[in-house]
Amino acid sequence: MIYLRLIWEFFKIGLFSFGGGYATIPFLYHISGEYGWYSIEELKHMIAVASVTPGPVGINVATYAGIQTAGIFGAVLATVSEMLPSLVLVIIVSKLLRKFSENFYVRAIIASLKPISCALLTAVAVGLLKPSLGDIKGLILLGILLLLSWKSKKSPLFYMLISAIAGCILAVLH
Amino acid sequence: MNKLSLLKLYLIFVKVGAILLGGGYVILPILTDEFVDRRKLVERDILVDYYALSQSLPGIVAANISMFLGYKLRGKFGALAAMLGVITVPFFCITILASLLAKLVGNTYVNGIFWGVGIAVIALIMLTVREIWQNSRRNGFFYLIFLSSLTALLIFRLPPIETIILFTCVGVLLQKLGGKK
Repeated sequence: MIYLRLIWEFFKIGLFSFGGGYATIPFLYHISGEYGWYSIEELKHMIAVASVTPGPVGINVATYAGIQTAGIFGAVLATVSEMLPSLVLVIIVSKLLRKFSENFYVRAIIASLKPISCALLTAVAVGLLKPSLGDIKGLILLGILLLLSWKSKKSPLFYMLISAIAGCILAVLH
Repeated sequence: MNKLSLLKLYLIFVKVGAILLGGGYVILPILTDEFVDRRKLVERDILVDYYALSQSLPGIVAANISMFLGYKLRGKFGALAAMLGVITVPFFCITILASLLAKLVGNTYVNGIFWGVGIAVIALIMLTVREIWQNSRRNGFFYLIFLSSLTALLIFRLPPIETIILFTCVGVLLQKLGGKK
């Protein structure tokens, strides 16, 4: 039963997430609250590990969430279910490449998905920030990271690495 | 152009998955090196088109572009081979790390690292928002959909999928009405 639910939830993530790996986080966040398969704290760990291992972040985090929920079999199901909608879409779109991007409905849906994705991600950022509001060091680090990204975008690894080092140093000093 | 065997295609994507650090941000240069420069299997322009298309489709960008390329080279089974190839190495890495990690939680340094990385995740989410924001035409329609879906999420606690379905319908309807003027 949990397997079916897992397949369904990750299939939906694959079908509805828009904007790359980190865009899957709002759904994973929602799953945590809805089914309690993992806690928000565990989700943060999963995102961290998924970001520093090779492979697409969105796929890695699905694999990890699958393991946490239902072991290795869960990992296979979550990973494959998340990619299935894309596989079907890619095959369809490849066949009608030109027509696809000129179709009114396709363009209208994509134009709507962009602002909605921004809203989904903003809502998650707010949710994650709330518990950190009392954490002055955390807010300073966040400010530094955003400042660093101001001029040019860097690889996610860059931010992860800086923050990991900062966290380690602070832990030693404490 | 020699036809690539499915096994060979799979193995190339196993390699792509293994050296892919940083997700969608770095896949384009890796694929260009592997398929355009080294093997001359596709043209650069086609790959760039696929990248743009992958970003405008739902799902994981790095996986989408791999599947487009697989389909181009070997049809449906090529897309499947590319998909399985790109996740092979990451799958085992995550599986191994997940079992190791459970033992490490609680260690002071590891907790420090997780604290830092937790902050980085917030920054990365904000940067993703900024990127979509910058790649969109921001007109009244954009702000209207953004603000109303944000209100639905934060104040009315509407779940993500319901929010997407509701506001995509609203968006398509608005554009249909707007287009007829």
